[in-house]
Amino acid sequence: MRLSNYVLLGSLMLTIGISAQNKQILYDFNEIPQSLSLNPGMETDFKWYAGVPLLSGVSGYVGSNGISINDIFADDGVDINVKVRERALDVLKPNDEFSSTVQLEYFNGGFRSNDPSVFYSFGGYLEIDNITFWPQDYAYLIFDGNADQLNREFDLGDLKSRGSMVNVFHFGINKKVDRNVTVGARGKLYSGIIDYNSTSNKGYLVNTEGQNNRIATTLDADLMLHTSGVQALNEAGDSNTAAAQFVKRAFFGGDLGLGVDIGFTYHLNERTTITGSVLDLGFIYHSNDAKGYSLNGKATVEGIEIDILENFGSLNRDFWQDLVDEVEGLVPFETETASYVTFRPTKLYASIRNDFGEPVDNGGGQLDCDCAAGSSGGGELRAKYRNSIGGQLYMINRPRGPQIALTGFYTRRLGNFVALKGTYTVDKFSYTNVGLGMNLQAGPVNFYIMADNLLSYKNIAATNYASFQLGMNIISWGRNK
Amino acid sequence: MKVFRILVTVVFGVLMVLSCSEKQDFDQLDDLEITPTYETSVFYVKAQESLINRVSGLSFFTQDFNFDAFEEPFFADRVLSGVISYELENTTSKPIEISLEFLDENENILDTEEFRMDAAPTSTLMRDVSYGPTGKSLDIIKNTSKIRLVATNLGDGSSTSTLENPAIVLRSSAKFTLDLK
Repeated sequence: MRLSNYVLLGSLMLTIGISAQNKQILYDFNEIPQSLSLNPGMETDFKWYAGVPLLSGVSGYVGSNGISINDIFADDGVDINVKVRERALDVLKPNDEFSSTVQLEYFNGGFRSNDPSVFYSFGGYLEIDNITFWPQDYAYLIFDGNADQLNREFDLGDLKSRGSMVNVFHFGINKKVDRNVTVGARGKLYSGIIDYNSTSNKGYLVNTEGQNNRIATTLDADLMLHTSGVQALNEAGDSNTAAAQFVKRAFFGGDLGLGVDIGFTYHLNERTTITGSVLDLGFIYHSNDAKGYSLNGKATVEGIEIDILENFGSLNRDFWQDLVDEVEGLVPFETETASYVTFRPTKLYASIRNDFGEPVDNGGGQLDCDCAAGSSGGGELRAKYRNSIGGQLYMINRPRGPQIALTGFYTRRLGNFVALKGTYTVDKFSYTNVGLGMNLQAGPVNFYIMADNLLSYKNIAATNYASFQLGMNIISWGRNK
Repeated sequence: MKVFRILVTVVFGVLMVLSCSEKQDFDQLDDLEITPTYETSVFYVKAQESLINRVSGLSFFTQDFNFDAFEEPFFADRVLSGVISYELENTTSKPIEISLEFLDENENILDTEEFRMDAAPTSTLMRDVSYGPTGKSLDIIKNTSKIRLVATNLGDGSSTSTLENPAIVLRSSAKFTLDLK
């Protein structure tokens, strides 16, 4: 095990491409202010909190459900061509994805209104999100070609990829309606920095028996790639103004969009709670440096065809160039600057939780701080218990349809200063995803760190999924003991 | 901030110590071969017997055709080997000779492929010509800029086959293996 391997591994994985991250450990972890970002209707008991700039919330994940780095690069003496053939080309399907998300909060805070049942939160974060599905038939065309495969249609729709870098500003309101119900909503303003999107491709390439010649090659294409910000940043890079262009696009000089998060918490009884949230119900209108590249049409060619009798008067023309022109006319490659709209990858969380054991206020091991549960939450206070157990559901809308993850969790609170949450998650990436999160409250200083798929750490290169979250806040509950 | 740094260091330190990784060799990428083979038709030429009968002399057709496909840098820089398959069908009443000359930009003849067919009825002539390590030089393909087709009537100039739409037809397709890496 060499440290350089980890660095290289991490670098490679981060460049593979990504999707929005399932933060199953952070969800419903009410001790942590950033949990509000996953459910604006979470129960809060803070008087105020302030995230440490750039450190309040850092998270990321890299996932590839069908293949791992170890599958290809393990130093196992097997020819890499055999490994690529047997572990990628022959195995991966168009639904297999390479995805990643990195999110960096640069400011985050919240404060309780004069009405103690209302809590406001606000912040800004940078999000890089990419997903690419395995382009199966393109891979076959690249590695094998189309020879000796008469009537085999290569599906051009296998190309599905999108990604973006977005600066997000948000402001949320959290309202405790009564003792049992808390609701919340958050408005989001997206400032798109860079975007690429090619998710609605259709068509095929096929060789069939020709009518005149030996083979007829047919291209039926409806391909589209939208980009925004790519050219502007490229040109800025050439003139050494990339940083200024980046900042300009990050702060409303690029593409703009709107979104909303909503959520709730409802106590079925004293110890059983259900929660739910819908996040990033929104869109971005790409109008600044938007480009579209399309290949649309159908052409069938059988090579240069010369019927001497039919072409007798024009045999001196350039048949090759005419063929090229004909194909380009039938399947034109065009560029445009039309604006386009992308919808954010909408996420849904839901959970049911049962608390048991002693209330944390009644036990020993408490820190001498102002962090008693519910101290500022408004209305009637609810106690937190030493233990919680439950299940969570996560869904995200992806280009090939929604993806689902199911999580079972157990939370253990050690007094008011430490809380631990263990999770077991099943999704398309792994059936053995065990995660662990820790929240530490040292006076007003709050620190949390989480990682999942811990079993994969026995051979990190073989993992299909790795994620982390960490952050640091200053929290006040508004009273001192 | 110091506490934060210490905590991050400790947690990730523990993960790093407890975690393992089998040895990875990223230099294997150098050994990866991406050598697909693509196949498509190349050219098709048809000369009707009525046309042949109208032309006096043995050589009833000679024509140079521009053919830049093989010269395209994407192809010429990557081609490893290939096969051109010809299919010649003669339903005319006369024996025919077809000559294909591969010419470079200066119209120098790089290679010649000749076909001779008896008068109908006769079976279709099939021929595969390989280029690359087990065949003719790839330079012929890489430098071909034009193809000269010469068709010669080795029979009379008046008879007509009883077969439907008598003609001499040359069909061809190519399979080429490229190195895309």
